[in-house]
Amino acid sequence: MTRAIVRLTVNEHAVERSDVPDDERLLDTLRWRLALKGTKEGCRTGDCGACTVLVDGQSALSCLTLTREVEGRSITTIEAGPTDARVARVRAAFEAAGALQCGYCTPGFVMSLAGALTEQGASASRAELLEALGGNLCRCTGYGAILRAVDRLRVEGP
Amino acid sequence: MAPFELVVPSSVEEAVAALRAADPAETAVLAGGTDLLLDVDEHRIDPRRVVSLRRLPWRTLDWTGGVLTVGSTLPLRSLEMDPEVARRYPALVQAVGAVGSVALRHRATLGGNLVRSAPASDLVPVLLAYDAVVDLVGPRGDRSVPVDRFIQASRKVDLERGELVRSIRLPEPRPSAYLWQRVRPANDISQVAVALAFAPHERSWRVAVAGVAPRPTLLADVAEHLGRGRPDEAAVARAARLASERSKFQTDRRASEEYRRRLVATLLRRAIGSVLRAGGVPP
Repeated sequence: MTRAIVRLTVNEHAVERSDVPDDERLLDTLRWRLALKGTKEGCRTGDCGACTVLVDGQSALSCLTLTREVEGRSITTIEAGPTDARVARVRAAFEAAGALQCGYCTPGFVMSLAGALTEQGASASRAELLEALGGNLCRCTGYGAILRAVDRLRVEGP
Repeated sequence: MAPFELVVPSSVEEAVAALRAADPAETAVLAGGTDLLLDVDEHRIDPRRVVSLRRLPWRTLDWTGGVLTVGSTLPLRSLEMDPEVARRYPALVQAVGAVGSVALRHRATLGGNLVRSAPASDLVPVLLAYDAVVDLVGPRGDRSVPVDRFIQASRKVDLERGELVRSIRLPEPRPSAYLWQRVRPANDISQVAVALAFAPHERSWRVAVAGVAPRPTLLADVAEHLGRGRPDEAAVARAARLASERSKFQTDRRASEEYRRRLVATLLRRAIGSVLRAGGVPP
């Protein structure tokens, strides 16, 4: 079966693939075709937030997003750390607060917060940042340190 | 699971034609996909063709004639973030904010939520309380259906072959509130939810409940007990008792019938308090 080429921008790199099935999820394209394993598969039902990435700066669940539905758009993943100022800022806050235990959920938390900083601006309120995390679960229940990272994000400013 | 073919029409006419020609049993319509793709993954449906609405010009928010018209494929998050919607349709924004998570609402749509017609939908009760109207396009032309008639049962709506939801109209801003109770605030389904609105021109209330079988429902007799303006404490107590008695609750894994009966009375009393405090309801 011949497939149309799908074009994406992933972490500021142009990507063209002709091997993406119509029903493939963005999560699988990132992990298995582009070898970007930072984005995690948790529940695959939209409940845990581990697969959160940004689509044109907005947080999205990559397990419930068809790759071909985001044709032409700009995808940001946890690997964007060094080149994306917002992702870098959130990552630094998580590191400084020691906001991870096993680390599996961390990319999802970081990307949800990076999305909130994009949507609400760098001076997002604590309530706005916490709302953005409502869909992220940490099975280690390491929420205390994650909340400290959120506070650090606010104190340290842009 | 057999892979499906994704069809992406670039006009409304093309989308309607594609749906009309397709076998409904093998075809699904994709808006945000946050519910549809779950059904695919869990083998509740196995479509051969999925028709995506992403290129249709329906990601709109329109105030023509003082009526709020929401395009069916507008992401819920865009609706929620609009300050004018928040000011004039407070319960709508409260209900949208109860759906999934922020990341989910960046993709999920009002049209999709309606057509999927979940018994515990947060949006259906609020649309009932605003007397919203669903605008459809199809092979035989346009038609409009009140939400109360459009929603028939779980996963069942008044949509003919080839028809699509173009927009949802909310004819007038109303003092309103939407309150819910659930185990987890995000990414969960309400045990019970109450949508309350006061229709200023008719001077009458609307009460809708979710978490009931088989679909979110307007409770007309409860609304009547609230009278034609601000209800007194006795009227509120009567309405709360009646809501508890009349709602068709069932026991399931989320909550028992008895718990839901208590909950609906509490949520209704709180919703009334919230609407009266916000102002806009005459004595």
